[in-house]
Amino acid sequence: MNTIVDTAPRRGLFAGILHRLIGLVRNPHGKPRALMTITWLYMIWTIVPVVVAIAFSFNAGRSISVWQGFDATRWYWGDPVHSVLHDPGLQAALWQSLKLAGLDMLIATPIGVLLALGLARWRGYGKRPANFLMLFPLITPEIVMGVSLYLVFQYVYVFIDPSTTAQVIGQVTFSISYVVIVVRGRLMSIGAQYEEAAADLGASSWDSLRLVLFPLMLPAILASMMIVFAISIDNFVIAQWLSCGAGCDTVPIKVYSATRSAPLPSINAVAAIMVYLTLGAVLLAFVLYRFLTRGERVKGQAEGGLTQMGSVDFN
Amino acid sequence: MTQGTNGTIQLVDLTKRFGDHLAVDGINMDIPSGEFFSMLGPSGCGKTTTLRMIAGFEQPDTGRIVLDGQDMVHSPPNKRPVNTVFQNYALFPHLNVFDNVAFGLRRGRISKDEVNRRTNEALELVMLGDLGDRRPSELSGGQQQRVALARALVLKPAGLLLDEPLGALDAKLRRQLQIELKSLQERVGITFIYVTHDQDEALTMSDRIAVMNEGQVEQMGSPREIYEAPETAFVADFLGASNLMDGVAHGRDDHGRCRVTVGDHELVAALGQSDVNGPGKVTIRPERVQLERPGTADNHENRIEGEVERSIYIGSAFQLIVRLNAGCTIEVEIQNSGCHETFEIGSRVVAYLPPDALRVLPEKRARSQGAPAVARASDTERTGKREETTEPSTEKTDTGRTARQAQA
Repeated sequence: MNTIVDTAPRRGLFAGILHRLIGLVRNPHGKPRALMTITWLYMIWTIVPVVVAIAFSFNAGRSISVWQGFDATRWYWGDPVHSVLHDPGLQAALWQSLKLAGLDMLIATPIGVLLALGLARWRGYGKRPANFLMLFPLITPEIVMGVSLYLVFQYVYVFIDPSTTAQVIGQVTFSISYVVIVVRGRLMSIGAQYEEAAADLGASSWDSLRLVLFPLMLPAILASMMIVFAISIDNFVIAQWLSCGAGCDTVPIKVYSATRSAPLPSINAVAAIMVYLTLGAVLLAFVLYRFLTRGERVKGQAEGGLTQMGSVDFN
Repeated sequence: MTQGTNGTIQLVDLTKRFGDHLAVDGINMDIPSGEFFSMLGPSGCGKTTTLRMIAGFEQPDTGRIVLDGQDMVHSPPNKRPVNTVFQNYALFPHLNVFDNVAFGLRRGRISKDEVNRRTNEALELVMLGDLGDRRPSELSGGQQQRVALARALVLKPAGLLLDEPLGALDAKLRRQLQIELKSLQERVGITFIYVTHDQDEALTMSDRIAVMNEGQVEQMGSPREIYEAPETAFVADFLGASNLMDGVAHGRDDHGRCRVTVGDHELVAALGQSDVNGPGKVTIRPERVQLERPGTADNHENRIEGEVERSIYIGSAFQLIVRLNAGCTIEVEIQNSGCHETFEIGSRVVAYLPPDALRVLPEKRARSQGAPAVARASDTERTGKREETTEPSTEKTDTGRTARQAQA
């Protein structure tokens, strides 16, 4: 007595292909193809505008929208009048951006680290509201921050005129939160055990901060410096509201006003330079991070360092 | 590294409350110099909190922690002459093994040569002399544990506090390190206070054990006393290997034994306290139960009929699970002498619970400042030592006296 078992049901050509495709996607043991496709589409989608902008900085002609041939140097230093090297306005803007980002980084990071330490170690009443208020600059629309900072400098801090100083103070106000969030996340994952161990071994609070906590926090400090630099160098709203005029123009302000009048690819060039600088900063921070945490890594777990450095755990 | 006479640690009426939760509830302990003392109990019993209070990481609500006559309660952890081996070791990941061990020494005013000498000495002591330049992440769990030990011992503390230091290791390594730890303790002669939830670990290594439950000490004594003469149902249960039956005690009979009913069966128990009334636990060790065929015994004293539910052959013995008519199951262990009759699963048997193997335990220790005065006064335990059972009360006056001396 034989029983015939149909192992593969018959399908038409298209139904068969469709079935195969569904199988391809559904197969739990196969590569996550759908996920990979979506990820790559997203990556390309986000990176295309940057690539286009940088590409036009190499345009041989004067248009920022029509490709007129390749010229590697014209808008960087080749053109005697309009290149970044020969346009004092663009250079001033670049310096202003770098100055703001650098100062912001150097001022906001130490303050933010101390604040994170305080918030992480704060026990008792007031801890939760303080932690929530810390997020305020992040959730406030930037334009609101900009306007209110402008008003504050206009009516409260009357002794500070709209100037580079005001711009730095404004950006520091805004970026401290980022430092706090990154560093506090790291502190939470470090926990209290290393400090307790240090105290147990006779270290004073200062020693335990200096010799134990600081080295362990360093990756997070570097990461937050990087973040502050990145959000500060392309800040438009606050820099604009607290600007003292042409002398305080940053690259984003310059780019914005230039595109309103007669844009040249030198604008793309200066924007591209900013991208290079930011990438350089990230790379530097990454190399430093790898160097500083070389002991913490277990062998075979070396990759993914950048992700680790940037990872923020919200506890 | 021997300390001579210092390293005595006394805890006097120590309490600690976290919010509504009373984590440590009036603990008194007196740990002499050089003793390997264990705090044993389930998680949440307050043992770790007690240890953290001794280390200085938690501030007790009331009570005193007296080290060699000095009250330490108000000194910060870095000023206390005790060191801790943490459960997860808490080795500094950014420092190599040598720097980890030298960390404490470098905090004091000690010359560089001395630091190097003592660090190497400590590393030799834990057999890690050649791994000084490794990072903690490059070591195995057992090696990390030894680094943690060396890091604490190098400071020659008056007391070493160990918070489940073997908890993260596998069983084989744990047994090996238990022996090493014990011999190390005997070598250095430092008072060890060891926190664990593993009764085997505590029994193997300790000179004395305090069994803790719900923030209080249930029983304190040598491993043998704790294991063989548990004073409360909790202790008997926690140390395992004992049958616990629910019963109701009815006080002493004419022969000074305790009358107790289990289900509707009346039993007499001769071990432990006899002047017990009310609900409690009746315990008997599996190897003391005798099984008989129904109708072979000449009287009915302490005999309960039952049925064999399971029979497990474990080589040297048979382990039988017997469901008694009294409504509970007990474990019976019969030595495999090679010729005895076997009891089939499902066969009817009579379990004889000899009075001199039966013990009645109150449900919980009577809570009046740690020691149940009434129960102790009437203690007629045959196997236990009387002086041991009265110890907590003398201890109280002891600590009181030393505390007064300390104040003077």
